[in-house]
Amino acid sequence: MPELQLTELHSELLRSGVAPRHARRTIAELADHYDDLVEGALGDGADRGAAEVRALDDLGDLRDIATAIKAQPELRCWAYRFPHVALIVYPLTCLALLPAVPVMAGVAHAGYLARWAACILLSGLVTASIFLFLQLSITLT
Amino acid sequence: MAQSNPPFMSGVPELLLLRLLDQSEMYGYELVRSIRAATGEAISLGEGVIYPALHALERNGSLQSKRKAVAGRTRVYYSLTGKGRQRLEKLHSDWRRIQGGIATALETPSHA
Repeated sequence: MPELQLTELHSELLRSGVAPRHARRTIAELADHYDDLVEGALGDGADRGAAEVRALDDLGDLRDIATAIKAQPELRCWAYRFPHVALIVYPLTCLALLPAVPVMAGVAHAGYLARWAACILLSGLVTASIFLFLQLSITLT
Repeated sequence: MAQSNPPFMSGVPELLLLRLLDQSEMYGYELVRSIRAATGEAISLGEGVIYPALHALERNGSLQSKRKAVAGRTRVYYSLTGKGRQRLEKLHSDWRRIQGGIATALETPSHA
């Protein structure tokens, strides 16, 4: 199926509040269905161009499909189904998660943090060694 | 372009989908073919609109889906749940009642 049409349908579904997993799945199933239709038409003896045209025709207008999906409230993400609840829950969740952000950032960049900590430790050891050497020099002379 | 028949189609796709999936699990393309065969091509759907109907039925617990790898492709197979079977029985009896009512109305001589 033409990639552009699927991308447009996917974007339209997301803009309309359809849950991302339903949008993704619909697109995947439509693409598979289209491939089956093309294979069927090729099997009937049509050439590839005619098979693709026939497949698109059988699949139906993508606007009708989008309308049918949008008409199913249960396929929308919960924030679209319960906007008033979302208005309260989203900010509260963000506030609650705020203290966890540095921890999550640390976990996400654990490698960098480990290297940074090793560098600090190493430089501390070098500095301490220099101070110790100086102190010993003063004491012994 | 494939057309649906909206004026008489309310609730029909759901009934057909549940009925066909009561017999065996199927994926979307297979279902459309089965609807055509089972209705003698009397019902023509824009084939893509079957997916919103399937997803909504799955969402309300009437259907369940599972992915299967078949001939190098992953297909989503749908099957009926217990709740779906109850829903099918209800829709079936509703349909019989309406069908009977309409048949009676059509058979009654008109008083012109």
